[in-house]
Amino acid sequence: MAKIGLDGHDVGARVVARGLMDAGMEVIYTGLRRRPEQVVTAAIEEDVDWIGVSILSGAHRVLLPRLRQLLDEHGADEIRILAGGVIPQEDIPELEAAGVAKIFLSGTSIAEIVDYLTTTTSGDRVAE
Amino acid sequence: MKTPTRQPIVVSDIADSRKPEAVASEQARWLQETYRPGLPGDGERLPFVTDIGLPVHPLYTPADLEERNFDYLRDLGFPGEYPFTRGDAPAMYRAEPFVISAYSGFGDAHICNQRFKALIELGAEQILVANDLPTQCGYDSDHEMSAGEVGQVGVAIDTLADMEQLFEGIPLDSLKRVGTLCNSLGPIALALFAALGEKQGVDWSRYVVSLQNDPLKEYIARGTQILPPEPAARLAADAVEWCIDHAPHWSPMTVCVNHINSGGAGSSQGTAIALSNAIHYIELLLGRGRSIDEVAPLLHMFPDERHDFFVTVANLRALRRVWARLMKERYGATRSEAMALRTTVYGHGQEALPEPLNNIARTAFGTLAYALGGASYVYIACYDEAVSTPNMQSAQVALRTQQIIAYEHGFSATIDPLGGSYFVESLTVQVEEQILATLGKIEEAGGALRVIDQGIGRRIMTEGAVRRQRAVDSGERPWVTVNLWPQVPNVPNTAFRIDPAATERQLARLAEVKATRDEQRVRTALSRIARACAEGSNTQPGVLEAVRAYATVGEICDVWREQFGSFTPSTEF
Repeated sequence: MAKIGLDGHDVGARVVARGLMDAGMEVIYTGLRRRPEQVVTAAIEEDVDWIGVSILSGAHRVLLPRLRQLLDEHGADEIRILAGGVIPQEDIPELEAAGVAKIFLSGTSIAEIVDYLTTTTSGDRVAE
Repeated sequence: MKTPTRQPIVVSDIADSRKPEAVASEQARWLQETYRPGLPGDGERLPFVTDIGLPVHPLYTPADLEERNFDYLRDLGFPGEYPFTRGDAPAMYRAEPFVISAYSGFGDAHICNQRFKALIELGAEQILVANDLPTQCGYDSDHEMSAGEVGQVGVAIDTLADMEQLFEGIPLDSLKRVGTLCNSLGPIALALFAALGEKQGVDWSRYVVSLQNDPLKEYIARGTQILPPEPAARLAADAVEWCIDHAPHWSPMTVCVNHINSGGAGSSQGTAIALSNAIHYIELLLGRGRSIDEVAPLLHMFPDERHDFFVTVANLRALRRVWARLMKERYGATRSEAMALRTTVYGHGQEALPEPLNNIARTAFGTLAYALGGASYVYIACYDEAVSTPNMQSAQVALRTQQIIAYEHGFSATIDPLGGSYFVESLTVQVEEQILATLGKIEEAGGALRVIDQGIGRRIMTEGAVRRQRAVDSGERPWVTVNLWPQVPNVPNTAFRIDPAATERQLARLAEVKATRDEQRVRTALSRIARACAEGSNTQPGVLEAVRAYATVGEICDVWREQFGSFTPSTEF
């Protein structure tokens, strides 16, 4: 779970992180104000499946594609990005085209996120 | 035709009805014999528990006040008099309704100035500048951390030149109050407004600067902290101390509950945490030889409760009472201004992403509760604020909503109109007890800094946020369009967009200022700040000199970072 950029609102990130942990997943939280480079390094070191990015500051159009680009440059194309927060509808296709796997808007229930991750991830690591 | 004679209506006395215990026993009887049989087989519709965990009873009577040892003269008194429960000022809204205030900012100073003028034209009496995140976190617009963030959630301010542009054609004394949050930049924000007055030729005595300048809150909620907490609090106190000597009518500190509550703490625990922050700042200033009668009038508070209307009213009343008693009984305040707490509030409800127009109703009720609680300075969230920077239409509706509450429906006709309500007075006592209980625990743990470094605040917040999420997911906390008549969340495409040219203009202006300013004067002022930091003297004069010399926000913060070190974010959740 990552906060990139300067957005200091991390309640959403922390509540989702808790919820995923309660659902039996292993979750690491980066803390506030990380640069995309720092998040990519941590994600590769920790060998994560997903990076969840919480972003409410409006900087998503710059920071999310940058994160994807850095992951790909580091050969970590199997790490997928999940984003949550306040993201206008019209930006979603653009972000998906830039390689963000899924976007959950504020107000999404924890169960829905857990469900998505379990369904999408089962057959990956589980099958390995 | 003969007029029939009719019996007059006779009210017969009930034996012992004036005895308090008579009401209590009748209330118990009513619950048993009348209320319970009136319920459907599966009982009450909901558990009816407030967000702060207090159960709400079906009915309140004088017996509830009796049970809580309610004493009118001791606990309420009169507006403008100790303990200020019924109002901080003698005439309250009968002299003037609350100050109609707008929190606004986006893009660069040039476009933001036009929005300010439009808001003033609509009747805004106070402007609080919303700054972008790079400004609030102490980075200039050309810093690598500012990528994608310049002008996004507020206006970019790098130097005094931006302030001059931002208030072009808006003399500072044409507003009742003017200011910004900038919690981690207190002395810089103060200097920007002081130097702007000099530039405009408006004497400091003729306008009022209102700052949030409450850095301790940022470590618990909101997250714009720059330095470790201790030096951050010291810098905030520097700004207050400077005002005691140069502008004692300004409001250089607003101790804030808002983000602590909304982040999960709940309003009572949030109020207690904020009070412990206030106590920390106050004691820093008392430690410098200032008196409570000098210090306390310059501080005010920003309470917050968004879930329960009547708790909002109770919270404001309880907070004024707690503040007055704290100032008088603990610190020995003698001036009325030091005991009467003024409050800034921001009208919210549980704003939802689906069907954003419904947020107009939510924020209006939230704001009404603050008005009925006697708030001094009132802001209101725009209906699209949960989604983006408000557009002009939503900003206009928000201002008009405040004006309607201030002038229509008779809301402001009498002072503290809910005072004496069995329900509201009971809640006021209960809220006060909750605040004092948490404050007691915090003080036992060692006060405000321990709330931060022992993770007490963070724990309270996370537990609360998880509890709220569960209450919504389970339906225990009803929320229209979210768990009742649920709709798909949708951030509309009409969300306000920042003109990309604003960032370009901002970067160009910053480059121009740096190229044309007196570099030697900047360096001299910056080393003066460094010296004050190292010596432990007040940094405000040096910061003011640096701002006058067009030093950037980032350059001044870099001096602080070098002197005090940087904040390290927690990775706990």
